[in-house]
Amino acid sequence: MIKTADVVVIGAGSIGCSTAYNLARLGFNKIAVLEKGYICRGSTGRCAAGIRQQWGTEMNCLISRYSIKQFEVMNEMLEYESDVEFRQNGYLMVTYSDKEADMLKENLKLHKKLGIPVQFLSVDDIKEIVPDINAERIVASTICMEDGQANPFKVTDAYYRAAKRLGVEFYTYTEVTGFKTEGERIKAVITDRGEIATSLVVNATGPYAKFISQMLGHDLPVEPERHQIVVTEPLEPFLGPLVMNFHHNTYCQQVVNGSILTGYGNPEEPKGLNYNCSWQFIEELAEKIIDQLPVMKNVNIIRHWSGHYGISPDGQPVLGTVPGLEGYYLALGCGKGFMLSPMIGELIAQCVAGKETTLPIDILNVERFEKGELIVEPAVV
Amino acid sequence: MRIQVHPILEFKKGKKISFTYDGITVEGYEGEPIAAALHAAGVRVLSHSRNFKRPRGFWCAIGNCSSCNMRVNGIPNVRTCVEPLQDGMTVETQQGRGVIGGVPGE
Repeated sequence: MIKTADVVVIGAGSIGCSTAYNLARLGFNKIAVLEKGYICRGSTGRCAAGIRQQWGTEMNCLISRYSIKQFEVMNEMLEYESDVEFRQNGYLMVTYSDKEADMLKENLKLHKKLGIPVQFLSVDDIKEIVPDINAERIVASTICMEDGQANPFKVTDAYYRAAKRLGVEFYTYTEVTGFKTEGERIKAVITDRGEIATSLVVNATGPYAKFISQMLGHDLPVEPERHQIVVTEPLEPFLGPLVMNFHHNTYCQQVVNGSILTGYGNPEEPKGLNYNCSWQFIEELAEKIIDQLPVMKNVNIIRHWSGHYGISPDGQPVLGTVPGLEGYYLALGCGKGFMLSPMIGELIAQCVAGKETTLPIDILNVERFEKGELIVEPAVV
Repeated sequence: MRIQVHPILEFKKGKKISFTYDGITVEGYEGEPIAAALHAAGVRVLSHSRNFKRPRGFWCAIGNCSSCNMRVNGIPNVRTCVEPLQDGMTVETQQGRGVIGGVPGE
């Protein structure tokens, strides 16, 4: 393992790999990425692979809008020999209540302002786009056909390979156990395989971010929220867009090989890391999905797993510096890390390099929680 | 040859019944796995591989490998090696990954 680095990135998920790639592009020479498992092991490889712009806050909309522009050209941008499987099948947002319908209408105003092509749909429109949907209880629905999906493993692999070509060093199965500091400054990162002297550290560990912060005496209010997801056997294409239902809190989409990826997290569940899967979940999920897509009733589930959002108090990313800790940066998507990873990597790299950021990220600084300046994202599922 | 003893499944060989396989009437015994009846009737190809369309036959026989996935009574991806045979069933060779529902835009 190298002894010194210009920057150490902790976490080799989509954000860690994207950040490392962007740092290398900005001219940092010695970049080390530390990953306690394998690449994509944390949250990226467990996510539902959706990419959307239909958010309820300006920052979430903008970061996702800029990210989608990068997903559109990602194979070329990262000179990837495979395919990141970015597909713009759209996101269909569905609500069963007037209150949620009002939220969609509010969000729509924001999308119009930002130039995001979102449409309000009538029941007939919905049936045309997803013929198999049960529209009986739908009160309102919007769609954005620029939204879609990509393969989280391949996107991360594309960033990993591109970063490696630029000289970034990756250390998998290397766990951060602590830091050396001098006053407010970081001096070194301590791992179970040795120490790396550095003055710059990016925390891109998603649901583990809080535990890394704890090692620096920083109290980070980003909590692991478990989501469970299943994948079904592959089927011929029938679904079209990802269906996100605010009544059931579910997401359901058909990926490139034909399998359906669907799941949800229970917001009432105590926060914390928990990789268990429950049989109750399968039963509840089946009820929720069959209500929406009755045609799914005989489809076989082939696998079931758990993963976590690292969820912030306002559901927005936590980006940038940490007051009182010089050289420590947070790169946390907070439940949407994968879909925002192209831009979060770019913004954090610019921030670390002391350059002007493409989008203003100051309002996403961790300070906002102490100051009580939360900007709550209403459209989290 | 008819499969009589299965390492995992227990099934009673019920009365003789008939069902259709790709439109042809075939006889089997109620309660035996569909694939057992097909095997006895000389059907060796149950599906085709996804990419190269190579023939796939009776393989794991415990509902895991998806080699025997067929369309039964209109439902795709039925594991015929573990699905009990019933009188009058419609069993069809499945094309592709299994079709459910309508196709968007059509």
